[in-house]
Amino acid sequence: MKNQPVIEIKNLYKSFGQTRVLNDFNLTLFKGENLVLMGKSGSGKSVLIKCLVGLMDFDKGSIKVLGKDISNIKQSELDELRTDIGFLFQGSALYDSMTVRENLEFPLRRHQNDSESKTKARVEEALENVGLPQTIDLMPAELSGGMQRRIALARALILKPKIIIYDEPTTGLDPITAKEIILLMMNIQKKYATSSLIITHDVDCARVISNRMILLLDGKDYIQGTFNELALSEDPKIKAFFK
Amino acid sequence: MKFLSSHQSGFISFFNEIGDMGNFTGRYFRELFSKPFEFREFLNQCYQMGNKSLLLVGVTGFILGLVFTLQSRPTLMEFGAVSWMPSMISISIVREIGPVIIALICAGRIGSSIGAELGSMKVTEQIDAMEVSGTNPFKYLVVTRILAATCMLPLLVIIGDFVALVGSAIIENAKGDVSFTLYFNQVFEALEFTDLIPATLKTFFFGFAIGLVGCFKGYNSNKGTAGVGKASNSAVVFTSMLLFVLDFIAVFITDIFYS
Amino acid sequence: MKSNSGNNLKLGLLIMVGLIIFTLGVYFIGKKQNLFGDSITISSVFKNVNGLQPGNNVRYSGVNVGTVKEIKFLNDTAICVNMLISQESGNLIKYSSVATINSDGLVGSMVLNILPTDKFPSRRLKEGDTLYSLSQVATTDMLNTLNKTNENAALLTEDLIKITNSINAGEGVLGKLLKDETLAKNIQESAANLNFTTRSAKSGLTKLNDLLNSVDYENSIVGLLLSDSTAQENLKTTIQDLQASSSQINKLSANLEEFSNSLNSEKGALNLVVKDTTFVNHLDQSIRNIEEATHRFNENMEALKHNILFRGYFRKLERKKARQENGNK
Repeated sequence: MKNQPVIEIKNLYKSFGQTRVLNDFNLTLFKGENLVLMGKSGSGKSVLIKCLVGLMDFDKGSIKVLGKDISNIKQSELDELRTDIGFLFQGSALYDSMTVRENLEFPLRRHQNDSESKTKARVEEALENVGLPQTIDLMPAELSGGMQRRIALARALILKPKIIIYDEPTTGLDPITAKEIILLMMNIQKKYATSSLIITHDVDCARVISNRMILLLDGKDYIQGTFNELALSEDPKIKAFFK
Repeated sequence: MKFLSSHQSGFISFFNEIGDMGNFTGRYFRELFSKPFEFREFLNQCYQMGNKSLLLVGVTGFILGLVFTLQSRPTLMEFGAVSWMPSMISISIVREIGPVIIALICAGRIGSSIGAELGSMKVTEQIDAMEVSGTNPFKYLVVTRILAATCMLPLLVIIGDFVALVGSAIIENAKGDVSFTLYFNQVFEALEFTDLIPATLKTFFFGFAIGLVGCFKGYNSNKGTAGVGKASNSAVVFTSMLLFVLDFIAVFITDIFYS
Repeated sequence: MKSNSGNNLKLGLLIMVGLIIFTLGVYFIGKKQNLFGDSITISSVFKNVNGLQPGNNVRYSGVNVGTVKEIKFLNDTAICVNMLISQESGNLIKYSSVATINSDGLVGSMVLNILPTDKFPSRRLKEGDTLYSLSQVATTDMLNTLNKTNENAALLTEDLIKITNSINAGEGVLGKLLKDETLAKNIQESAANLNFTTRSAKSGLTKLNDLLNSVDYENSIVGLLLSDSTAQENLKTTIQDLQASSSQINKLSANLEEFSNSLNSEKGALNLVVKDTTFVNHLDQSIRNIEEATHRFNENMEALKHNILFRGYFRKLERKKARQENGNK
């Protein structure tokens, strides 16, 4: 199960002007795995995932997603590839001019030629999965932060992606809601057998969800290992994260 | 020296912006003619811009017609030329005042809403979310909006012109005992294709300018909520200025061709 | 989805309304320019089109029937105006109609008027016909003429006021004629005198004639005198002259009578003598001369009675008269 990589990042370099954000970074995500990427704020985590989904160009290195080199494919292929990647944004990024239903329908209508009834069924199913079927005709502005995050998760999952990338899934939420979100993520992982790349600095979240962890320090993959391996490390730089 | 350098950087950023806008326009045309076309969103934007602005345009046009007629009456009466009222009003409304005033109203209504909407979408990563979900946000957000503005503004101007003439006819009817039939007979007696066609053609450019500037400012807005406000504000300011420049060019060209 | 289709319906309505207004606008403007429906092209050639432009109206008897399509030079003096008129009105307009260019009101645009003429019976208009043209004065020309007329009228009225003022003040012939009663009386008197003089002159001449007839040419001195051819000639001429002058006086008196009549009737060519004071003087002088002449003539006649040549004759006459009286007794 673990021997099939879905994401391979090799020797990635990215700088903004004089500031080098990523400096020879390597990462491999295997199928069905929950990989947690930890790092300080401003360490380049968000830049990394933007490079990963082709939102940002990188300077050097290679990124392979599901076997395809994303720096070397056509826009149409990239769009096709993106349907296999679910992305949960830090601020949920729901389209606030659309209702919850339209938010969920949006990816469906662009990538699947389903009938109206099937689309409707899939939207309702996705909302059931995140436990918010009653919000279907509300606008995002009418929802709380936690609900928005769950709707965003439902939207990320609606195309049944092979990989889900979570950008700070629990940031800005109270601990209880954060726990609910973490549980939801685990359930979904079990249900759809997706591979997940989770970017967080929430240690609780990492402990619960991770199969493996990577620490991003100074633009490099400073250390890889299980949660316990890292938590028990004597390296002061690593220890600082688990205080 | 500091003064000079601040001006220099102002110039540089101005020309940078012009250049960026040129690129943006080029991208618009490339994306416009490549598949797929976001027809649903285009219709939705047409509805948002057309129907939602209709009341505003109607009321503005009506009052424009009323006021213009009321204000011009005394002067024309002095010359004993009140019977020229319908001709004068119709030519000035159809040629110039209607398109410019309604375009300015729409710059405020449509331009600012596009700027604010795209700005906030940019700030809250909605544009990124859209791209990540495999949708070309430029096509979906920008192309549809610019095209919708280009198509809807002429319609709004035509309706606004008509409502303005109705308003003017009401005043003439009440104050000058001119029947509606006579009023509109005189209107069509005075109007020529050279009044109607160039005026209608230029409204397409006005609509394009409103959509383009609104999208450009919103799509390239800076991070943060202040960026959204700035995008929406500068969209209106820049569009209004651009409208007058375009109007001047349009009148200049019309003048060359028809005189 | 329901709201979406509702929006589309509203959008469709908006687009329809906009397009209908635009189409109607285009239709009415086009209809005015005869773009729709059957139309025929006719032309007319002018020397001056007075600023007529393509798109200006063409009217027949004041009704809009079409528009000017194009205006082009044929040569340096002839300008061809092509116009589109509706087929319907083409069926009404006769070929003999005349085209003119006028201004639509004082400040209006130019209009091409087609005027019907009844002079010749002719066919209806057809495609490509050329109408006769009639050049009319342009508004500016008209205004210029009007201006001149106005100036002249102003001068005239000013002069008239002066004239009437001076007439009222009794100046000039007309004033004198109208105001001066003595002059009128004088004229009347002179006429009466003339009348009397001519009458007495006439009787005098008759008497002279009788006298001459009864002269004994062989025995009397008078006869001798008269038979002297020179004297005879002289006398003859005198008498002829007298006769001529008497007829002339007659004529003059008739003229004067006529003149005074026309004066009394307040008609005639009085304006000819307006303000001519010399004429008045002449007239005065003439009347005075005539009076003097008649006076002198009377004196002459009296002198003739006492003349040595005619004294015998007059005595003889007296004697004859006395004898007749005695005989009668």
